This record gives sequence, structure tokens and C-alpha cells, in this order.
Amino acid sequence: MSATYILVAGDARIGNLVATAVGTSITAVVVGDRGVAEAVAASGVEKVVWLGDPGATPLEAFAGQVAALTAAARPDLVLAPSRPADLVLAGAVAARLSAPVYTMASAVRVADGAVEIDRSVFGGIARETLRIHGPVVVIGDGGEVGTDGGAPIEEVTGAPATTISVIETLPPEHAPVDLSKARRIVSTGRGLKDQGDLSITARLGEALDAELACSRPLAEGVGWFRRDRYVGVTGQKVTPDLYVAVGISGQLQHVVGARGARVIVVINSDEKCPYFGEADYCVVGDLYELVPALTAALTEAN
Amino acid sequence: MRIAVAYKWAPNPQDALVGSDGSVDWRHAKAGVSEYDPVAIALGRSLADASGAELVGLSVGGPDVASPMAKKSALARGLDRAVVVADASLQGLGATETALLLAALVEKIGDVDVVLTGDSSIDEGSRMVPTVLAGALGWPALTDVRSVSGTAGDLSVERNHRGGSQVLRLTGPAVLAAAVDAVVPGVPGVRDILAAGKKPVEEVALTALVRRELGSSVERVRIAGPEVRDRKRRMIEGSDAAVAAHEIVAALRADGVI
Repeated sequence: MSATYILVAGDARIGNLVATAVGTSITAVVVGDRGVAEAVAASGVEKVVWLGDPGATPLEAFAGQVAALTAAARPDLVLAPSRPADLVLAGAVAARLSAPVYTMASAVRVADGAVEIDRSVFGGIARETLRIHGPVVVIGDGGEVGTDGGAPIEEVTGAPATTISVIETLPPEHAPVDLSKARRIVSTGRGLKDQGDLSITARLGEALDAELACSRPLAEGVGWFRRDRYVGVTGQKVTPDLYVAVGISGQLQHVVGARGARVIVVINSDEKCPYFGEADYCVVGDLYELVPALTAALTEAN
Repeated sequence: MRIAVAYKWAPNPQDALVGSDGSVDWRHAKAGVSEYDPVAIALGRSLADASGAELVGLSVGGPDVASPMAKKSALARGLDRAVVVADASLQGLGATETALLLAALVEKIGDVDVVLTGDSSIDEGSRMVPTVLAGALGWPALTDVRSVSGTAGDLSVERNHRGGSQVLRLTGPAVLAAAVDAVVPGVPGVRDILAAGKKPVEEVALTALVRRELGSSVERVRIAGPEVRDRKRRMIEGSDAAVAAHEIVAALRADGVI
């Protein structure tokens, strides 16, 4: 049977990865406190290797040891969730195994001594299927915490890098937003002229009971939104029932992040805007008139 | 202290033409210093100025990487010099191979205390090069880095952490990937570009590196165009906003999304 190693850094949400590796012998290597190791052990894996309580040590400091023990087991497939500390573990493992590493995978199949991966490439402009002989590291969406069985936990003594230590940790100033679960989203782009004008999309959001989001320039450029509200290939990937894009031209970078939406409404003054090519309703006109009118029509309809 | 910044010379996929069969034609996509790499260079410049360190740019890739245009674009952003490996066989390299080569380059130039990188590249966008690079060097990696200060052997690093932030102390070498918005890099001026022409660039032959090969064979068995849902693409004329608004509400109601 093929062997899969799943790397976990401080967060037990690996349900999707376990589902990906079903049919193989799954070992999870866990860096984090005992609670994480126990939750992973109840996720449908066969065995947990736990590096012990990290205390105040940053989880990334265990990457070398995770790499050494994973490489020694010579797994066919290594999976890791797409979260910051997990990527550091995955990078160390890929380096140790000289294994190729792939992100944006939509499907992984293990068969006949090879691993096949379907993935989108170059930010989602195309797709490819790869067949890999030899070890491979795949980064995927961790999903939720699994609930299946109670695998044994083997504790190994942690030997983290000693050159890195935490001086201070500051909690979030705001509760983080998870747009991936939003049912409706109103997203704003550069078509809006002034930060004060955000009130019109905010009112539309209220009328629709929708979360507010934005395209990248509004978060990383002008800073009108916090980064966790930006939808795009390097931002949030969303799958709402309804996605209303206001003043967003449809740069691929953005469009990819909302392709999973059931219905897409695009409001734009340019009838040639690329986003119309991937919208259900292409509303051509002045957003300063259309958005308040739509808000009024929705309020009236309620 | 010697600070290295790994940068990529890459085209924007937005400008590539994709055939319905998934073939990608890059001919019309102009390459540049990959979008987030100027952030890493700017962080490196500040750290180098404050600590008296040298700031060296490192890049590996196809022959373009050594073109006068690529060299000048990178150097104009504030590097003191650059060391590049340009070889036709390196075009379109994956994350692991790129990182293993960069590690070999870091080891070749020697005495590097910190390697900075951007968050991700504009074309591949895997975010894995800094972490594999750190693994290959046996150094720790930190991502989403907002600021770096101090000197070799005693660096203070602030990074984004679980929606908040964290300050860490580094007493040895490390790879640091900059947060996308750690700083807003300036656009190089004429003076920067002229100065860049006089800065040294060393081309290292691929054969001069102690290179680790990939331990697996990779075969591309299929390519396809993007997975795009079939959308209605119904045009709604918006010159009368109230009429358009009612049409949208009726349509969304019929779709069962409001």
C-alpha cells in the first residue's frame, strides 16, 4: 500500500487531506500542543507522530526535524494544508526529499506506484494533469477537522531550531473574517472613486445581508479594506450563492477567487469589461446610480 | 553582514493567451521583476542601510534573467549587485528546483546572513520557494514578514500571525518571505535606472553550481483550459437605473439567491 504523510502545524483541520489520501496508509506528523495531536488522531489517520509540546517555540522551528523523520519514512505522497506554518514544514520536507511541490491541486490520485495531480496553473488561466513517479508534496485546502477513529499517538522528542524565539505575540485587532462561508458577497473594485463612496456598497451589502469584499488594489493598494476581505488568487477564494462585483473590471487575478459563486452580477460602466465574460448578469451603467437603485429595489421588495 | 534577495524575472499570466486546449502562449506577456519581489528588495534595502550590510540580488531562470533589461530593472530597485544563473534549461522551473538552485547559489556566494523573498511569484504563485529554500539551506523560514531590523546574529522580525502579529528574535541565518504589503516600494526614477547600469552583475554558469537534482520524475499527461462555469452573460442596460434594478431583483429571485 502507498504511504501518505500529512504535515500539521498547530491546526487540526485536515479533513480534506485525509479524504484525498483515502486508500493509502496515512501518518500525520503533528507540531503543536497535545490537543491538536489528539484531534488529528481522531481524523481518520492511521498513526500520529507528535513532536511534543512546543511551549513558546514557534512551530516553524520544528521544520528540520519534521523533514528528517518524514524523509526517513520515504512516503509516496506528502500532503499539507495551505496555512503559513504548514507551508514551512512542507518546504523543508520537499527540500529533504528533493521532491516537487504543487499547490492549487483540485484532485490527487495515488495509483500504480505513481501520483496523479490535477491542478490549475499560472493563477488559474489553464489546467494540467501531472503524473509523478517518486515522492511528491501537495498543498491543499485543509478543510475541517475530521471525525473518524482514534489513531495511536507516538510522541517523539522535539528538537527545534534554537536560533528562533518568540518575543511577543499580539492578538488580532479585529476578529478575522472568513468569507469562504459567506452566502452572499458584495465586492468593490477600483471603479469606486472615493473611500467615502464605500457607503453605497455597504448599504447594498446590508440590503442583501451580504458580506463585503474587494479586489486587490482596494486592500493592498489604497488600504480601504483589510486584507482578509480581498478576493483573488492570492486572497480569499469564495463560493457564495450570490456575488455582486461593483466596479471590478475582471482582472484574472480577481475573477479566479470568485469562480465558485453560483450567480455572479457584475456592475460596470464599460460594456467591454472582461468580467462580463464570466458573469450571469452584466449590468452596464453608472455604479453611482445603479447601486443605490438596486439597494432601493431590494429594500422595497423586502 | 550580507543580505540576499531572491527575485524572479517573470511575465504576468494576465497577458498570456490561453488556447481552448490549455496551451499557454507567453509571447505577448512582457516579463518584469515579479510583482511582490520589489517589496522584498525594499525591506532588504532598509535593513542593509541601517546595518551597513551589502544587498545582493539572486535570480535563476531562462536566458532572459541575464538580459540588460532584467538586470537594470532589478538593480534599479536598490540592490548593490546581482548574481544570476541564466540558462535555457531553467525556463519554467518548478518551485523545488528553483529553490534548490537558489540554495546552491547562496552557498556559492557565501557569508549570507539572511535571504529575503517576495510572498509569491506572479506566474507560479506557489509561495513555496522561500520555504523549500530554507529547508535546503537547513535554515528556519518565516513568512508574511512585515519588518526586519538589527544585525547579523541578532535580528528582530515582525510578521503577521493568525490575524494579529508576532515579534521574533533570530540569532542565526534565516529565509524571510515578505508580506505582500510590508512596504510600498517606490517606482525607480531615472537616476536609479542610470545608477543600475553601473552596478556589477555576475553571471554564474549552471555547471559551476553544486546542483541537487529532483528525486522524482514528472510527466505532464494532459493540459486543459481553465475550468469556467457556463454563465448566462445576460446584458442588462443600466441607463435607467430603477428599471435595471428591478430587472436584477426579478432575475435573482428567479434564481433563488435572494
